[in-house]
Amino acid sequence: MKARFLLLLILLLPLFIHAATGCDLNDPDADVKRLFPQSTGYKTTYMSLTKTGGAEALKRVERTLGDKFSGTYETIDVPYSIYIVHKGKDIIGYVHGVNQKGQYGGLQVFLALDNNGVIKDFYFQKLSSKDAKLFKDKKFTAQFKGLSLADFSTYDLATGKGNTKMNSIKNPSKDPKGDFAAIMRAVKKNLALMQEFVYKH
Amino acid sequence: MPSISGIAYKNLRRKRIRSILTVFGIALSTWVLVSLFGFNRGYEASLNSDIDNLGFQVLLTAKGCPYEAATLMLQGSKSLRYMPEAVMDSLYQNEAVDKLTPMLMQTVFDVNKGEEGGMVGYLGIDPATYPSMKPYLTFSSGEWFKDREAKEAVLGYEVAELEQREVGDLMLIPEKEVEVLVVGILKRSGTQDDGTIFMPYKALQTIFDVQGQLTSVGIKVKQGADINAYEEELYSIHDVQVVSMAQVKNTISNLVSTAKVMVMSIAIIAILIAMVGVMNTILMSVLERYQEIGIMKSMGATTFHIFRLIWFETIILCAIGGVIGSLFSIVMARLTEALIRYVLPYAPSGSLIMIDFRLVLESIGIITLIGLLSGIYPAFRAARIKPIEAIRSSEGEL
Repeated sequence: MKARFLLLLILLLPLFIHAATGCDLNDPDADVKRLFPQSTGYKTTYMSLTKTGGAEALKRVERTLGDKFSGTYETIDVPYSIYIVHKGKDIIGYVHGVNQKGQYGGLQVFLALDNNGVIKDFYFQKLSSKDAKLFKDKKFTAQFKGLSLADFSTYDLATGKGNTKMNSIKNPSKDPKGDFAAIMRAVKKNLALMQEFVYKH
Repeated sequence: MPSISGIAYKNLRRKRIRSILTVFGIALSTWVLVSLFGFNRGYEASLNSDIDNLGFQVLLTAKGCPYEAATLMLQGSKSLRYMPEAVMDSLYQNEAVDKLTPMLMQTVFDVNKGEEGGMVGYLGIDPATYPSMKPYLTFSSGEWFKDREAKEAVLGYEVAELEQREVGDLMLIPEKEVEVLVVGILKRSGTQDDGTIFMPYKALQTIFDVQGQLTSVGIKVKQGADINAYEEELYSIHDVQVVSMAQVKNTISNLVSTAKVMVMSIAIIAILIAMVGVMNTILMSVLERYQEIGIMKSMGATTFHIFRLIWFETIILCAIGGVIGSLFSIVMARLTEALIRYVLPYAPSGSLIMIDFRLVLESIGIITLIGLLSGIYPAFRAARIKPIEAIRSSEGEL
């Protein structure tokens, strides 16, 4: 009987074991500490475009992004988790992640930002790609450190061209259909949303 | 002429704080009672629903230690033990069988998921037989794959949302580096299928190099067939394990019955606490009104009038407490359920707390009955007060 019951539990467990929908850190205690080693704590807050203005907010973000939000998964009510990072009582930065459609699956791209919206660190929580190792390599992610929305605002998602700083970001993959374009979109979307949720104010 | 219920209500209002606190205590007991009863119903119903949603009455799996299988599965091994696909031939020959469906479960470790990687599972099915076992699975877009060998996938609702996939997109099987075409996205079903990636089992056999192997076979027997007799026949097949949903349901019912007894014990304790609290409050009230009751009796109130008066006060407290507690349990049901899911190692999908109008009425009835019983002794003592002694004395005695 015990055997049958245990087998039933196996059958009833979801085969695809995953985190909740939306873009939360899987282990925020460890992840925030890794992204901000000098931090002493963090607070999690949830934002959505419906909270900051609805359709108008969506238009602002799409204008900043230079692209439309997809109707299927990039809806106006998607909740975004923003981790406000503290050192003592001072806010020293933010961690924010976005989902982005990639070549073979969803990407989850987290940025560690300072109080001025400058990228301090870059973290792929999820990446389904044949070149995942290349994209996760520090040689690639380090190229984004020091960039901000001001730099990404010059970047055209359609042509893949921008200012000098943006054009110097090298695609490590040889596959033209690979995830480089999706990653760039994810970073720009992340910055555009943070501008809407945090830095605008 | 003031009514007894009106006088009882006014008496309670005179000692407002005490009445409120007593009502609050009763409300808490009611909340516990309703939530526990709701959990009893909800857990069993959800579990039975999950089992029924498996779609088959008997499941045949490869023989082996299920504990080892569970450990391997949960810690990231590739699969359960296998059984040969040829076992299906012998199953088809049995007249009791209505439908059969082969299944092959495979998992891989995706190093790119999170900081330390994570498991991804794939369920290989036969598109000709599996959908008819699960008619509740419907599509938001696309359809089932037709070719058993095709490298195609149908995604459960939650998988599609996490992977941001639409029909026509590609997926990549980690480690194998095999591209798979998404041909269908299922609607949310509220079952474990929402988190499942379905693929043709033949294709999965090729990709994972387990040709001719299965991990399980789902069996639906004909209506009217003797399931017990059929299961006895299945036991004679070598190297397979028979999991009967009917027997599992019985096992679960027995476990749930045991849990129900425990839950009822807790509920009885909550009720007893409420009873004692109510009795204590009303007795205190009688003590304080010793002289007042004596005066009422001297003015013509009978023993029965006094009994009814005190009894009414008890019933009013319990009825109000019961209603408030029931409302509280309805409002807090989602939070209570979230807490239970956090604590329990396994909780079925579906609602764990089922509170309906009938349950609320029953609980209010039980609490009011408790009020009736709790109020008997204080009312009896109040009714026995002798008027002359009460008027002479400045305080009450019991």
